[in-house]
Amino acid sequence: MRFTKELSKGFIKDNPIFILVLGLCPTLAVTTSVMNGLGMGFAATFVLLCSNIIVSMIKKITPPKIRIPIYIVVIASFVTIVDMVMAAYLPALHKSLGLFIPLIVVNCIILGRAEAFASKNNVLMSIADAVGMGLGFTLSLVVIATFREILGAGTWLGVRVTPLAYDPMLIAILAPGAFITLGFLMALMNMLKEKK
Amino acid sequence: MGYLGELFVMAMTAIFIQNFVLARFLGLCPYLGVSKKLDSAIGMGMAVIFVMTLASAITFLINKYLLIPYDIMYLQTIAFILTIASLVQFVEMVIQKNAPALYKSLGVFLPLITTNCAVLGVAILNTTAFRSDSVTAYNFLDSVLNGLFSGVGFTVVLVAMAGLRMRMEMADLPKSMRGMPIALIIAGIMALAFYGFMGFQI
Amino acid sequence: MRYYLKLGFILLIFCAIASGILAYINTLTAPVIAERKAREEIETRSALIPNAEFHEVQASDGSIFFEARDPKTQEIMGYTFNAAELGYSSTVQTMVGVDPDFNVIDIRIVDQAETPGLGANCTAATFTDQYKGLAIQDLYVDKDGGVIVSLAGATITSRCIANSVRKKAIQVRDEINQGGGE
Repeated sequence: MRFTKELSKGFIKDNPIFILVLGLCPTLAVTTSVMNGLGMGFAATFVLLCSNIIVSMIKKITPPKIRIPIYIVVIASFVTIVDMVMAAYLPALHKSLGLFIPLIVVNCIILGRAEAFASKNNVLMSIADAVGMGLGFTLSLVVIATFREILGAGTWLGVRVTPLAYDPMLIAILAPGAFITLGFLMALMNMLKEKK
Repeated sequence: MGYLGELFVMAMTAIFIQNFVLARFLGLCPYLGVSKKLDSAIGMGMAVIFVMTLASAITFLINKYLLIPYDIMYLQTIAFILTIASLVQFVEMVIQKNAPALYKSLGVFLPLITTNCAVLGVAILNTTAFRSDSVTAYNFLDSVLNGLFSGVGFTVVLVAMAGLRMRMEMADLPKSMRGMPIALIIAGIMALAFYGFMGFQI
Repeated sequence: MRYYLKLGFILLIFCAIASGILAYINTLTAPVIAERKAREEIETRSALIPNAEFHEVQASDGSIFFEARDPKTQEIMGYTFNAAELGYSSTVQTMVGVDPDFNVIDIRIVDQAETPGLGANCTAATFTDQYKGLAIQDLYVDKDGGVIVSLAGATITSRCIANSVRKKAIQVRDEINQGGGE
């Protein structure tokens, strides 16, 4: 029972982007297309899952004073693994995510979950937490990217979805569009919450 | 172009044309999180300038004298983030001991900086950056100054944002727009304004 | 004091394990990356000048360009080289194929990280096709008096590609004219 609760909280109740407002840098930077959003989402989910498992496994042998540096080492190792594997097998995606792959290290969601959840719970719960949070993050990225890609390029996952007469609103995939889209989506979330 | 001209180009690029926050999307968490009050924005800005400059210097040395000669570039992320984390800790201890007044104003912001991606971002970008002739890689001084200018660029928009948000508090907004949503939309409009600098090629 | 040494030691062990794992994975992925890069380069080169045999030539400044010869007659069909220059937010690398008279056959943008929606459109064929058949003296963007139409909102990217291709083409041409006997 608790397992499903931990799993599902990341989607709506504790959604990392819309509710907790964590990890904004990758959120705004990579959501220029749905493909990039998915790539970043899965990369972060993988890192989150692995680091949560390891952190929860070593919680008994971690001296409290140096726990943060140890978490950082664990996270940075998995980020580097993702970086290398992506460079080898998904070069195009690796290229378009660029700097933001190494920067997963400082994504507050991952260190935040390690510190707030995995270091206090057992491995099974930590897995549920990581999968839920990671997929919640991915889902949010895809939602933002969907708006930006359709408005700004007229495509979804690279496939044209708007009529040819629609002249894409370029601003949506540029930097200002990222902030404004997220701002309106958050306002929408707040509105829905109030209605409840 | 003399070295001073080169520096001018670097400063303008870091502060206006390729602003860390508004064009590169780095350091957004403190940008939106610490911009509610003007004094804390200034404090955070100063702390970031300080740490970014120091971090640029140290990571440049690590990259040049450890990672490249021993061909272990794949350890770059791990080495840089550990350096930055320990640097922040160290700076905190030194300031606390020797300058209690400064610690009072900067102290609370220092731990937050470890997870500020702008610091790690500038360290990584420095290793791949070129001067305006696109041939010469950054040397030690270039990297340090780039760190300094990027920090200044961060502070400029952070302080401007704090000023805007303080006025926004008085505004009569729909309830669902208050707080983060309107802050993001203001940031978007600011980014739009900074796009005006984009066409410049110095 | 001993307590802090112990903490340092624990951290050191973690770092050692992490670097060991990373080193192992690096030995697995590094060859794949290197092989893919090499293969992509060969593919791009043959797409620029089809049905040719490529010979590596080292220029006097140490850079490398390729001579394309007809596999049967050994006649020179053209040259390919890489041009790179700083664009708006990244170094834009272009692979260029030219005929023996240094008219551009075609170009391909092989590496860039320009702004999505603006400069990043430089990889589109509608942009690169403009280069087909241009002579060296035409390799300027429209704002600089050339014939290449800049990408909307990305003059800097367009200009850096035109300039890097032109500069490199001139360098390679001078190199060949001097070398003579090659």
